[in-house]
Amino acid sequence: MLKVTELHKKYPNGTHALKGVSFDVKQGEFLVVIGLSGSGKSTLLRCINRLHEPSHGTINFEGSDITNIKGQPLRTLRSKIGMIFQHFNLIPRKTVMTNVLAGSLSRTSIFKSILGMFSDEEREKAKRFIKIVGLAGKENQRADNLSGGQQQRVSIARALMQNPKVLLADEPVASLDPATSHSVMQYLKKVNEELGVTIICNLHFLSLVRQYASRVIALKGGKLIYEGQPLDIDENWFKTIYGEEAVEVTID
Amino acid sequence: MNTMTQDILPGENKGAALKKVKAHIKAYIIDVLLWSYIVLAGWKIVYEKAIIGARYSNFSWDQPLLSLGLGFVIALVLFFTRVSIGKAVNGLYERNPEKTVLSEPFTILGYVIFAITFVSGLLISQVSIREFLSESGLHGAKRIFLALFNPNFAIIQDALFAGVETIYMAFIATAVALPVAFILAFFAARNLMNGSRLTMTIYSVVRFLLNVSRSIEPLVWAIIFSVWVGIGPFAGMLALSLHSVSSLSKLYSEQIENISDGPIEAMTATGAHPIQIIWYGVVPQIVLPYLSFTIYRWDINVRMATVIGLVGGGGIGTLLMQYQGLAKWNEVGLLVIIIAAIVWIMDYLSSKIREAIK
Ligand SMILES: Nc1ncnc2c1ncn2[C@@H]1O[C@H](COP(=O)(O)OP(=O)(O)OP(=O)(O)O)[C@@H](O)[C@H]1O
Ligand SMILES: [Mg+2]
Repeated sequence: MLKVTELHKKYPNGTHALKGVSFDVKQGEFLVVIGLSGSGKSTLLRCINRLHEPSHGTINFEGSDITNIKGQPLRTLRSKIGMIFQHFNLIPRKTVMTNVLAGSLSRTSIFKSILGMFSDEEREKAKRFIKIVGLAGKENQRADNLSGGQQQRVSIARALMQNPKVLLADEPVASLDPATSHSVMQYLKKVNEELGVTIICNLHFLSLVRQYASRVIALKGGKLIYEGQPLDIDENWFKTIYGEEAVEVTID
Repeated sequence: MNTMTQDILPGENKGAALKKVKAHIKAYIIDVLLWSYIVLAGWKIVYEKAIIGARYSNFSWDQPLLSLGLGFVIALVLFFTRVSIGKAVNGLYERNPEKTVLSEPFTILGYVIFAITFVSGLLISQVSIREFLSESGLHGAKRIFLALFNPNFAIIQDALFAGVETIYMAFIATAVALPVAFILAFFAARNLMNGSRLTMTIYSVVRFLLNVSRSIEPLVWAIIFSVWVGIGPFAGMLALSLHSVSSLSKLYSEQIENISDGPIEAMTATGAHPIQIIWYGVVPQIVLPYLSFTIYRWDINVRMATVIGLVGGGGIGTLLMQYQGLAKWNEVGLLVIIIAAIVWIMDYLSSKIREAIK
């Protein structure tokens, strides 16, 4: 459903963050992207929903070329791709409900959204997703007063509000403790398996990768150097991806 | 220094040399100006006023020119010693880390300049202990203070009405300025406008206009408007709102520049329209600081409204000016008390409200 071909990204300051990355993503996959800090993982995800402009190469989503679309078509595309972030990026001082409802902005008129007039249907839906991520009853709490793991679940619910085909997750558990990390990953797995949403996720811990990924790609210095099954990453591959000095750290 | 020059490539050497020449020229210009100043101030103020005791020394434009000429010469001679302040501030001296800056020859020259300026300042401000403590002066002061401490409560009704007028005037000035500043602030926020060259141009123009209007004191605006629309609260209100627009826009836009990008990025990623992105990603981050700034502004405007009243902006300031002109010090005393009370209450309320919404 997603096909990335020869993707390059050069930042205005000259950093060449992606150097010809190509890969396919199939419907229903749980694809994990690994690589050292600075290898270009975040850049890759942000090129897919065009938060960053690719410099070269093409991105094909559901059969159409989305590399250069603009305006309304671009917003429609983004609405089909949910995104969750390392630092949650929730709207401060707003309730869980408002934060989740923000996921439906693309199909709400500007006028109504400014007045906060979301339809009952949308509110019901938001409630349902809040329940799915295990936060029922917290609808009217301020989102920034929740714990990190809870905030990340709010942001998953917000992404689900978009009815996404794909969910991009940029190190969703990097600022959480191990137990909370697992709980958030479990919710992502649930979204993947029960709602059939394709997931592309950047991760740092190989133990998480082995547990949740259905397929893995690895970046190094902006190039794709590995593509395969999570269990096939052996000692050698590990050293190639993370460097000779690296020692695997596990998270349980 | 040595290692640096070794590392420089031939092409870059030229650039470095040019830079060094430029620094020397800059240093020399600074020296010339400083020495001209020393000569001129020493001669025209310190020498003529203090030593000769001339009341009105005759001035002609030859004098500053002559000083400038002397400055050129002195600066040139001393440029090759260690008393060049220009070289010091441009970092052209090799500094001995053992020696403190305070004992360097150029610093001593700095002390001299300070001393000349201080003495000139005293002479120009006509500081005179004799007049401060003169008998008739003290007597007059005593009379005024006595009157001030015996306020005339007969005019309390007028005074209170004028005070209320001032508070409302300040409130309307703030309320009118608020929406204008709210919109202008988005155009004056660098992080929202750095997208393209067009938006950057708009940004620069808006910033420039705001800076210009902010650098003109509300007092001056009040004089302009009191001629334009006539003396009274309306002129004062216009002056205050104009000044409020420029300072609120600046504060607001700085707040926008400080917001975190996370929520904006998240809203963009949901496919929201730019207006929705601002409403959901930017506005929630700025409303409370905005509110706080605005209340503070109202507080400031009440104080300024008093001052502006002095030049015909209406309210309690105008009343104060009238009684002062008539030398009715008991009435002035009452007005001063009321102004102090208003300022104190506004200050207290605004800090309490701002605390509560933090
Ligand atoms: N906005 C930007 N402007 C310029 N350079 C950038 C920008 N964002 C990232 N880079 C650079 O691009 C390269 C790849 O960064 P990226 O954030 O994609 O790496 P990453 O794999 O996500 O790293 P991490 O694990 O630390 O998040 C880095 O060298 C980084 O410094
Ligand atoms: Mg990253």
